[in-house]
Amino acid sequence: MGDIIDIITTRKSIRRYKPDPVPDEMIDKILEAARWAPTGENYQPWRFIVIRDPETRNKIGRLAKIGSGSRMTAWYCLGEMQERFEKIKDPVKKAEVLRFMYSGEVSEFAKHAPLVIAVIGSLKEGSVDVPYDLSAAIENMLLEAHSLGLGACWVHGPAATTRDAKKFKEILKIPTGMGEYKVIAYVAIGWPKEQRKHPRPKKSLEDLVFWEEYGRKERPNYG
Amino acid sequence: MDEIEYCNDIMVRLEELLFHELSGCAAWKVELIGVDFIQSKDIKGNTPPGVIQNCIQEITTAGLVKEMTYSIGGRGVKLELIMRDCLHLPKEVKLKKDGVKPYICPITNMILDQLIEKLNFETTFVAEVSIDEKSRECKTRSAIYEDEAKIGLVSDWSEE
Repeated sequence: MGDIIDIITTRKSIRRYKPDPVPDEMIDKILEAARWAPTGENYQPWRFIVIRDPETRNKIGRLAKIGSGSRMTAWYCLGEMQERFEKIKDPVKKAEVLRFMYSGEVSEFAKHAPLVIAVIGSLKEGSVDVPYDLSAAIENMLLEAHSLGLGACWVHGPAATTRDAKKFKEILKIPTGMGEYKVIAYVAIGWPKEQRKHPRPKKSLEDLVFWEEYGRKERPNYG
Repeated sequence: MDEIEYCNDIMVRLEELLFHELSGCAAWKVELIGVDFIQSKDIKGNTPPGVIQNCIQEITTAGLVKEMTYSIGGRGVKLELIMRDCLHLPKEVKLKKDGVKPYICPITNMILDQLIEKLNFETTFVAEVSIDEKSRECKTRSAIYEDEAKIGLVSDWSEE
């Protein structure tokens, strides 16, 4: 069996895309990867809405922009965003990055992605782990897209607040009742227009792993 | 039985649970908590001060909060509310004691809801909830966006 660690470790969130369409067979593969994600009790609560219509993508992009921008503007005003990006020393670059964030443009890219897939979960027919199942499906989609040479990004923004989640449902004609479907995110997909030069640094395993019990850092000798 | 205490205790457990499930973004999901009360009132007003003042009138008359003031600043984006002796204060104190930073202010949600419902504000966001159990005072700072153009209108709230 092949080791997919290279696919996992080279994947990055891609937010800029060429306008070229994503072929149908690739869309099918991405959806197929999602369908095989682990799911509690094999309930498979996920449903996928494939969106290519530019007008719908514009509406979703606008919703995401307003959602992220409304939060990040407030965080900037409280000084929290400046702390988050304090590692950027060049003041001009830092100001531009911060503006990109608090304007909400950071989440607007559904407008420019040739393909957007909304991931929603049924709360009605047998469901116990909907957010977790959906998250696993999204990860499968991201890995499959990357393995096909596509770029993708998981965007929670337009579904982050209760009011925005309702607007998101209305755009896609999803029943809006709180007991019907959970909207967790959309995944934007396209041919990458950017090569991310600096992958975000990851914490080392040493920082993340305990052995046998919480807090125990030394690796036991299992002989 | 103290019915207020009973209801606050139930809210504490629900808030703990929601935070445990969702971590920080739990605070983004709770904007409708509290709005039923204010939606049952016929709040009038054509401007933010008018609507806010009328909400405060209903809230204090009903005894949900004893004293309440507001100010708008930050280029029209910041709404600060100061509340003394809120019915929900014991909930916030208990939550804080249990190690969860208070994140649901039903009273603030009421006012933000009416800015959206009555004045068609684009969106709002509760940015900060702070409580002082000694003075029995709560302060919230929210971002209020009249329209899309107000998103990204930044200023330094610490200087106000």
